[in-house]
Amino acid sequence: MNNRLKVLRAERSWSQQDLAERLGVSRQSVNAIETGKYDPSLPLAFRIADLFEESIEAIFVRD
Amino acid sequence: MDKAASANPAFRRYRRRFIPITAAYVAGIALATWLIPDKAPANFTTITIAALPGLAVIGWLWAMARMLIELDDEYLRLLEVRKAMVATGLTMGITSFWGILELFSPEVPKLPVFFVFPIWCLGLAVGQLVNRRTFGDSSGGCP
Repeated sequence: MNNRLKVLRAERSWSQQDLAERLGVSRQSVNAIETGKYDPSLPLAFRIADLFEESIEAIFVRD
Repeated sequence: MDKAASANPAFRRYRRRFIPITAAYVAGIALATWLIPDKAPANFTTITIAALPGLAVIGWLWAMARMLIELDDEYLRLLEVRKAMVATGLTMGITSFWGILELFSPEVPKLPVFFVFPIWCLGLAVGQLVNRRTFGDSSGGCP
């Protein structure tokens, strides 16, 4: 699964650590999701979508 | 693992539990070495001393289970579970392989069952390496 997390984060000038703190997860988690090594659970995907005020489908796209 | 992740309260609590349990395990082995002579009868004293490391191992597994329950970061939890799965797979594989050899080849030295847990602990280190190679990350909470 691909995602636009890095772009959305860059638009807000947030570091991975900034985003991790906002989401309440580790920086490693943000890095793993951004690089496509790990697909988040639905609750975490909703938290990400809520934070960026977008729908899940607008952030996470099928390969 | 970066400092922020290793500072996760679940990892801190795990390390706090791990230290006294490890001390009990080491003390139990030291007591057994010191007090139980070779070819000792399996009497009350021997069984009591031998139970101490066994209880410590149960304590270790309990501490790890608590850590997995308390860890609120799903990705770090995945890394810990993968590590434990690698360790379990390696231990089962090695002991099954050696067990068959022991059953059918009398010249093969017997592997004392005591070493199953140390093999599993070595498996955790291998699991950490597997995480590092496949995810580029290794969780640092669980020794």
